[in-house]
Amino acid sequence: MSTAILTVTTRLFRRDVRFRVSLIILIPLIIFAVIALFSPYDARSSYYAPINRPPSLSHPFGTNGRGQDLFWLMSFALKNSLVFGLQVALLSRVIAMIVGVIAGYKGGVTDQILIFLCDSFIVLPIFPILIFLRLLTREMDLATLAVVLAFFGWPWDARLIRTQVLSLRERKFTITAIFSGENTWDLIFREYLLHILPIVFATTINNMLWSLGFEITLSVLGLTPLDIPTMGTVTYWAIQQQAMVMGIWWWILFPVIFIILLFTSLYLLFVSITDFINPRERVLTR
Amino acid sequence: MVRRSLWWLVVVFSVVGLVGSIALAQEVLPGVPRSEVIIIEDPSGRSLDPGRFNLWGGGVTSWSTGVQQVCLGTLWYIDPDEGIEGDPWINLLAAEPPIYNENYTEMTVKLRQGITWSDGVAFTADDVIFTVETLKAHPEMTWGAYMQVNVEEVQKVDDYTVLFKLKKPNGRFHTIFTVRWSACYIMPKHIFEKVEDPVAFAFNPPIGTGPYVLKTYDTNGYWFLWELREDWDKSDLGVAYGKKPAPKYILYKGIASPEKKVMDQMAHELDIIHDLPPEGAITLSQNNPYCVTWFDGWPWAHPDPTLPAVIMNHEHFPYNLKEVRWALALAIDMVQVALQAYNGCATISPIHVPPTGLYPGWYFDKIEPWLKEFTLKVGTEELKPYDPEIPVKIAEAVKYAFGYKIPDDPQEIKKLVGYGWWKYAPDVAAKLLESAGFKKDKGGKWLLPDGKPWKISILCEAATRSVMTRAAAAIAEQWRKFGIDAQIEAVEPSMLWTRMNYGEDPNTVYWAWCIETWGGHPDLFWFLESWHSEYYRPTGQTVVAKNPMRYKSEAMDKIIEQLRQTDFFKDQEKMIELGLEYIKICVEDMPIIPVFSYNVFTVCDGYYWTGYPTAEDPYTNPVPNWGNTRFMFIKLQPAEKK
Amino acid sequence: MGGFLKFFIRYLGARLIVCFLVIFVGVTITFLIPRLIPGSNPAEIAVRRLQMAGAYLPPESVEPMREALLKLYGLEGSMIEQYFRYWRELLKGNLGPSFASFPTPVVVLISRSLPWTVGLLALTAVVSWVIGTLLGGVASYRGKRLWVRVFEMFSNAVRPIPYYIFALTLLIIFAYVLRWFPAGGAFQVGIVPSFSSTFVKSVIKHGFLPALSLIIIGMGAWFLNMRNLASGVTHEDFVIFAHQMKIKESTILKNYVMKTAMPAQLTGLALQLGTVFSGTIITEIVFNYPGLGTLAFTAIMQSDYNLIMGITLCSIVAVAFATLLVDLLLPFVDPRIQYTGGAG
Repeated sequence: MSTAILTVTTRLFRRDVRFRVSLIILIPLIIFAVIALFSPYDARSSYYAPINRPPSLSHPFGTNGRGQDLFWLMSFALKNSLVFGLQVALLSRVIAMIVGVIAGYKGGVTDQILIFLCDSFIVLPIFPILIFLRLLTREMDLATLAVVLAFFGWPWDARLIRTQVLSLRERKFTITAIFSGENTWDLIFREYLLHILPIVFATTINNMLWSLGFEITLSVLGLTPLDIPTMGTVTYWAIQQQAMVMGIWWWILFPVIFIILLFTSLYLLFVSITDFINPRERVLTR
Repeated sequence: MVRRSLWWLVVVFSVVGLVGSIALAQEVLPGVPRSEVIIIEDPSGRSLDPGRFNLWGGGVTSWSTGVQQVCLGTLWYIDPDEGIEGDPWINLLAAEPPIYNENYTEMTVKLRQGITWSDGVAFTADDVIFTVETLKAHPEMTWGAYMQVNVEEVQKVDDYTVLFKLKKPNGRFHTIFTVRWSACYIMPKHIFEKVEDPVAFAFNPPIGTGPYVLKTYDTNGYWFLWELREDWDKSDLGVAYGKKPAPKYILYKGIASPEKKVMDQMAHELDIIHDLPPEGAITLSQNNPYCVTWFDGWPWAHPDPTLPAVIMNHEHFPYNLKEVRWALALAIDMVQVALQAYNGCATISPIHVPPTGLYPGWYFDKIEPWLKEFTLKVGTEELKPYDPEIPVKIAEAVKYAFGYKIPDDPQEIKKLVGYGWWKYAPDVAAKLLESAGFKKDKGGKWLLPDGKPWKISILCEAATRSVMTRAAAAIAEQWRKFGIDAQIEAVEPSMLWTRMNYGEDPNTVYWAWCIETWGGHPDLFWFLESWHSEYYRPTGQTVVAKNPMRYKSEAMDKIIEQLRQTDFFKDQEKMIELGLEYIKICVEDMPIIPVFSYNVFTVCDGYYWTGYPTAEDPYTNPVPNWGNTRFMFIKLQPAEKK
Repeated sequence: MGGFLKFFIRYLGARLIVCFLVIFVGVTITFLIPRLIPGSNPAEIAVRRLQMAGAYLPPESVEPMREALLKLYGLEGSMIEQYFRYWRELLKGNLGPSFASFPTPVVVLISRSLPWTVGLLALTAVVSWVIGTLLGGVASYRGKRLWVRVFEMFSNAVRPIPYYIFALTLLIIFAYVLRWFPAGGAFQVGIVPSFSSTFVKSVIKHGFLPALSLIIIGMGAWFLNMRNLASGVTHEDFVIFAHQMKIKESTILKNYVMKTAMPAQLTGLALQLGTVFSGTIITEIVFNYPGLGTLAFTAIMQSDYNLIMGITLCSIVAVAFATLLVDLLLPFVDPRIQYTGGAG
């Protein structure tokens, strides 16, 4: 299995420039996030460095108004946000795929029940509910927030997957496959998965954007654990300490660059994988 | 199709362009020259039900839209600073201070003559009586319950004299009609008597005794435009002072994002900013040559007579122990907290009254010698915890960290940022804790006497007042350094106050305030009354008023009872004496840890208007949501033409 | 055709029942959660608001006031009694008074903010959907062109920027530096809403920046979605076959590529339109825009149960019907999908 992944990776790496670019960005980013574990500072501490210094040799990304070295702060924030986004995405993707495929393929009562479940989640306005849940649980740490968001993050995508499966089911190859007596799960995995994966990948990015966006919104309103560095809390403090007004551009710029790099590389990665797994890609020579 | 879809895009973009070109061109207030209007920030932001002005009926989420500053009026005002004519006590609708009978069961009020409501009807004793009687009949109205509890009946002596008969002796009954931030305003009888349900009544347009009338307002609740009355000389301000307020219009405007406030003022589109994070205010003062702040230079901000403090619920172990509370205080490095929370612009207070207004003279000067001698005993060791050097240390740190200009004279610094605070003495704090049975584990973390790790969560405001969140974060960090597993938990203010008042959260201390004073009057009864044990409520029941720490002390009860006996007007000396006693008990017991006054970075722009109150000319509080900012409008002058 | 109609009606019936069940569940959940938060009821909050504001409330009068307020707000009785009372009133069309803005009815408060929110959000959602989908469709077909690459990168780069920062940057550039647009509000300070051209112009002028910020962010998402969906389709047999048949490219794009990717895009649009009723709080904060976002947030913070219920009810009903609509319309968009529910 692992050798297969390796060969696929090397093949993609040679063939697809997007894949190359994405890895070239993503791998350093991940390394950057991982070195947070070796930071000389406690993630919550502040005022250990001079205040509001622009990037320099001793502080490559500068320091912020809270006397934190932005290099280490960004490393913490990237790690926490990445873990958070992946948690939400993974959990909600699994639920969405299971529900979407079963509903779309089985149809009938199963579909009705699953769609009912789906719709019940879709209609709940997440923003108020989330604030309520936070008030109810009092201290909501990032991991709990991730689970809650995951439970709100699947139904939309489950419906998308269901729609796709519905339309696939009506297509010729399904009917052919059924007539030729193929096993259901085989069918789902062999035929459907390839068509669903592009949606899953596209929605993964959307889901991560959504969950991180939510984290940032909640943080701007001050409703997340503010002393834990994340992309959201970095933004919160930059706003609270008036980075934009004071012209402390590096306090805003580095978080923005990191988050753009992260999402662009993820996007390129998924697009290139999508094209790769789509079996007709190699037939088409346009 | 490809072509056509691109065509379609061309259409879309040209529509966008067209709309954009409509949008071009500068805008001004229609029909109102900029030089005739003063634009003031209303910190309550968006008023959810802007067409409702009935403060008595409740349901008005925003009082600072001008309605309490320039429209409605009441009998007296106490200025938190020196007062417009040098006396913080101000008779506005009343002609003189209240006259009590000997045992404080009756209060006579003489009203000013010649004041009319903004619709021309004369203001008389009938209005006052009607206000009280209406409120008394409706305990659900804002001051209704108070009137019901206190007032037996209210009588008209003549058109300009009212006699209150009280249910029981109360020498502070008049404070309900005395504005600090706000108070019970007088309602126009001729409007409300025609109304069936005074609670449901919207009171739109509002009719007041103040010098301004509502011209128009935003139905979405973001702004309110007030116009000077033509008969301003018959308004309360006009009759009391005979001076015409200079601004013809006042625009109160809610602005949510601090960046916008700064940029608006840089563009001279916003004359008074209510509050800003320190960085924003300092940037403005450094970049706008017309900028006016309370202090002209460090520390810029106006100290409100409100004292944020670390509030611990004494019903939760270990906060019932005096040693623990003191240890927590000594584990705070005040210089760091002032620096991190306020960029060093905090006015610190080691004692349980705010270091603002006239309080330094009344309390701080008198208590400081005692503070210097005050001794803490830990076993055989003794420590004098008071450190008068802290203001100087803050000033030096500020100079080093931010490069602000600071005065050389320690006495000057004392005036700017307070007298002193408690020493940063983690070693003594450790001994205090050990004396209470606490131990440190191998990693240097404190364990409770039962061996469990000691965790503290500091509950604080989230995004409403950045300095409060920052101070909580700074204190948490100090405690972490000391070996306590401390963190902050930020919530919306209403949640913070609700949770504090129930006091049910374990391992939680609250970063809020329960000590607020007049600023311009030495009486502490205002907040201290509810510290009396008769109002004590256990955890799980909401506290009655200002005793969320659930402090109980016989000595304090006695002080409160004696304070109750004093006369608000004649016994100031006695009040101060009792206040000093109160401070001594508090220092001994440390029921809450006082930190600093709530300093407000009110930033004014001198481009269109001058004459704002400042520390040089402290005739009133510049913080524009306070009811007593109405006195500012007769002092303001248009700036010279540019 | 009669058979289809019967089939359709049966499907619609089943689907409607589900829709109402969903609304019922949603309302019940939003009824329960705020009431489960310990120590927060609107009477408490009202008293607290006075204390926080620094108004003088002597201790002995706090309790009578709280009790009087509870009575006034109609909050006596157990939670179950309140629940049934709520449904009874709701079915009469009465959402009750707001507590924080007592006694103004919830309906009035919502109806004041609703036009602004719906106007801004629905418009920007549709505009960004149209632009994003069209460009995405074309891009999937012309994947190697430079402008596609550039637009793709731009969309990717803009989307993850924290919206507060993005919106504020737009605001600083266009409202403060270039001074092309006003800095905030829904219309000019000092004018009264009417159907005059001045007012309409003012509304457009003030709505432009918030709309622009939402469109730029929204468009990219639709563009990328569409591109991904449609590029899957371009590799399908029937498209390749169509190419070999030398069918005009524009026809292929319109009839084959766009159409097949449309169901997913439409579902997305419908759902987004449904969520319009929750408002966007950050847009409202940055642009001082009067919408449901700040209304809802304030309502939550003041434990204004009725107002919270009112806003969430709007949102729940809108989303529920949007999903219903999607299910009903999809077969028309993509004839290969049939009404499978209920009649299975």
